[in-house]
Amino acid sequence: MKDRMIVFTCITTIIGFMIAIQFQTTKEPDVRDTRNIHELRQALTVEKERQKELNEEMDKQIEMLYQLQQTENVESVIVDAIDELRERAGLTPISGQGVLIEITPVYQDEFGGYIHSVPPYLLRLLINELNFNGAKEIAVGNQRIVSTTPIREANGVTLINSNRVTQFPLKVKVLSDDPEGLHHAIMSSISREYFLYENLEINSTPINYVSLPAYEKTYRVRHMEVIKEES
Amino acid sequence: MWLPIIGLLVGVLLGLFSEFRVPDEYSSYLSIAVLAALDTLFGGIRAHLENIFEETVFITGFFTNILLAAGLAFLGVHLGVDLYLAAVFAFGVRLFHNIALIRRILINKWTTKRKEN
Repeated sequence: MKDRMIVFTCITTIIGFMIAIQFQTTKEPDVRDTRNIHELRQALTVEKERQKELNEEMDKQIEMLYQLQQTENVESVIVDAIDELRERAGLTPISGQGVLIEITPVYQDEFGGYIHSVPPYLLRLLINELNFNGAKEIAVGNQRIVSTTPIREANGVTLINSNRVTQFPLKVKVLSDDPEGLHHAIMSSISREYFLYENLEINSTPINYVSLPAYEKTYRVRHMEVIKEES
Repeated sequence: MWLPIIGLLVGVLLGLFSEFRVPDEYSSYLSIAVLAALDTLFGGIRAHLENIFEETVFITGFFTNILLAAGLAFLGVHLGVDLYLAAVFAFGVRLFHNIALIRRILINKWTTKRKEN
C-alpha cells in the first residue's frame, strides 16, 4: 500500500512538471521579435545616441551639483540654471548667426490666385528640414517655434501659436552654428520644390546676426506635475 | 491519500520555477504526452479502486503510453496525417471512461457505507 502511494506520488510529480512546462511554453508572448540585423543595428544606434545624450545630461547635472556644493551663494547658481532652462525652452529672445529665409508668392493675383498664407503642411515640412539640417532655434514670422508650437489651419488661414501668419514675405529666422551649410541645404532641398508647387518661393540668405523673439504665450504643461520630495 | 496531491503541487512548482522551455514545434508532443500521462494516472486510480492494481503494469504503462503517443504524433507529422488526433481521441475517450468508472465506484462505496450505517 505504501509502495503504491510512492509510485503514485512519483507519477503525479512527473505529470505536474509536464503540465507546468506545457503551461509555460504556451504562455509565451505571441509577439515575436522579427527585426533583421539592419533594423537591430539601427535600434542599437538610436539607443547609443540616447545613452550619449543621457551621459552628457548627467555630466551637466553633476557639474551643477558640484557648483552648488562649492559656492556659498546657492541662489545665483539656481538663478543661472533657471535662466538656462528658460533659454532652452524658448522663453527668452535670442540672437546669433543664422539664416534668414523669405517665403514669397511667385505670382500674386494674376495667375496663381491670391494666396493668404503658407499652408501649414509646407511650414511643417520646412521646419522638419531645418531641424535635421542643424537648426538650433526657429522663428516663423514673429512666432518662436517651441516644442509645443501648433501649426494649423483655420478658415484658410495658417495659425502658428494661435496667431495668424498672413503677411508676405514671410520671414523665417533660424539660428545655426553653420549658416552657410544650412543655406545650401535649404536651397537644394525638396521642400523648395514643394513650395513651388504651391506657388511659393523660398529664398534663404546666411547672415551674421539674426535675432529671434521669445515665445510669448505661457507654457501649458499637461502631462507633468511637481513631485514634492518627502523629507 | 494526500501524498500524490502534494507530489502534483511539487511538480507544478518545480516546472514553474525552472527555466525549462520546450520549443514551439515540440509543444504538441508534450501536450499529447500530458494527455497520455493523465490517462494512465486515472487508469491507475481506477485499478486501485477495483483492487486490480499492479505496480509494474502501471509504471510500464505510464512510460510506454507517453512514448507511443509522442511517437504516433511524430509519425503523423512525417506522414502528413494528423495522427496525433487519433491519440487525442483514444486517450480522451479512455480518460472520460475511467473517470466515469471511478465516480461509479466511489458512489457505490458511499451508498453501501450509508446503508450499513
